[in-house]
Amino acid sequence: MSVAARLHALLWGVFSLGGFIAAFLLPVLIYVNNIADPLGLWPVTSRDPTSLLVTDQIIGSFFVFVAIAGSLFHGVFRFTATLGELGLKNQVERIVSVGYALIAVGILALLYYLLALNPSFVNMVLHILGVR
Amino acid sequence: MGSRKLSQKKEYPELPRKKLGPGWWLGNRHYTVYMVRELTSFFVAVFCILYIYQVAVLAATPGSYSQYLDLLRSPVMIGFSIVTLGFTLFHAFTWFFLIGRVQPLKFGGWTTTPVQSLIINTALLAVISMVIIGLFFLGR
Repeated sequence: MSVAARLHALLWGVFSLGGFIAAFLLPVLIYVNNIADPLGLWPVTSRDPTSLLVTDQIIGSFFVFVAIAGSLFHGVFRFTATLGELGLKNQVERIVSVGYALIAVGILALLYYLLALNPSFVNMVLHILGVR
Repeated sequence: MGSRKLSQKKEYPELPRKKLGPGWWLGNRHYTVYMVRELTSFFVAVFCILYIYQVAVLAATPGSYSQYLDLLRSPVMIGFSIVTLGFTLFHAFTWFFLIGRVQPLKFGGWTTTPVQSLIINTALLAVISMVIIGLFFLGR
């Protein structure tokens, strides 16, 4: 199997994993953060759900990273592929490149800001990377 | 003789194909459902980008974070969020159904159906959502 074919298979595998993440983790985040809290249906605390998740707890930051990074990959990857089916076949390579750039910038920015908000999350990331 | 036939590369004449326009999927209900499902990924992507922006505002300019929360309370954003949640759930339920069709589980002589896959995964979605809600209580 060629390198390009392996990479293609790997990307579709990550896309599939992102599909599971978007299906299982995203609905509750959309509901709590963007519907329940703004409408006052979230009486858990006076703080908003996102600052509650990403400032104090490592597991909350980890959840946000997995849910958003996985769903971003899945959403952008699928949407750029769909544009080709909508008659933009000539532009599909350019669109896919922009999509990958968006995914990379989005995931790196998310990781950077999560690390800035929760310094203890740094230790967890370094531990996963095997640095500590 | 059979193996010789298999190794021979047979050339087929190119059949005339109808050129499809951008709205090719509107003429058939199955194609329409398929394309609507694919287009729901747009809302998933936009929500993720907005959420990353929210985390960035919280981290970089905490002073203006309350303004962003006010924006989330606007009717337009709440309407967008309800539509996004609806599309995300549609995406999730159709995904659960497809998993059951593409990769049915086998237990002895019994094989799961797509509807059973939908029910099992929906129950799993409910359990996972409850666990995630528990995370918010942890950070209280």
